[in-house]
Amino acid sequence: MEPMHDTSRRRILKLLGAASAVAGAISFGAMLPSGAARAQAPGMPLEDEKVADTMKRLFGGRAVQDAGDRIKVDAPLIAENGAVVPIKVDAELPMAPDKYVKNIYIIADKNRRPLNAKFALTPEAGKASIATNIRLASTSDVRVIAEMSDGTLYGVTREVKVTVGGCGG
Amino acid sequence: MSVGQVRIRVPEKAKPGEVVTVRVLVTHPMETLAFKDGKPVMKQYNFIHRVEATYNGKKVFEAEMTQAVSQNPLIAFPVKVNEPGTVKVIFHETTGKTYTGEAQIKF
Repeated sequence: MEPMHDTSRRRILKLLGAASAVAGAISFGAMLPSGAARAQAPGMPLEDEKVADTMKRLFGGRAVQDAGDRIKVDAPLIAENGAVVPIKVDAELPMAPDKYVKNIYIIADKNRRPLNAKFALTPEAGKASIATNIRLASTSDVRVIAEMSDGTLYGVTREVKVTVGGCGG
Repeated sequence: MSVGQVRIRVPEKAKPGEVVTVRVLVTHPMETLAFKDGKPVMKQYNFIHRVEATYNGKKVFEAEMTQAVSQNPLIAFPVKVNEPGTVKVIFHETTGKTYTGEAQIKF
């Protein structure tokens, strides 16, 4: 191999390395949280959390009222595969501009990090109904909590039995 | 299936003022953190942490997700349609990449 070729290759690699380092720094900066809601950039490992701490972090000690029939949760009684547990939430709660369901939280008590997902709705959504697939580490209570725009919390709890856990690790 | 492929399903036709359910699926591994001897192995893991949906440019839905959402996440959410338009769903990955999908709602 000619020495000239080798140096140019090295130079290119060096340039590429510098470019990617800059790009990395920029994207990392963009990913940094704007508020205090997220203590870390997304995707970084987070501490394990007990469900009581999650509830405290999300709702700051506000009491959750039992929603009774107003929130319908469609989840399997027994999930054979914890990696894919379909869950459907239908909340019969007002969706008027002055009072609407602002957030729907899905929380699995026994997951390493109990918060599965948070869905934010607007009055334009028309009704509070969402569906998704979640992972469950083991048989656990799954809480579905609806947060109204005025801060009221309604919740229901369903137990889902899991045959094979789905959170890896 | 390639990572980041977004598929959206909406009803073929809607009536003004109707609440339609938008079902959206994205092909994504939603990496979970691997543990070894009680310590996380990877420094950063790649999953979709934020989803945004707009209807005719107006934000209608947003979700924050964790790694406790299944692989190839499927989400269904409602949109009240008053005029025909486009539903646009943007998935934000923790690496900073975004994946976008669009669907038309006709009357």
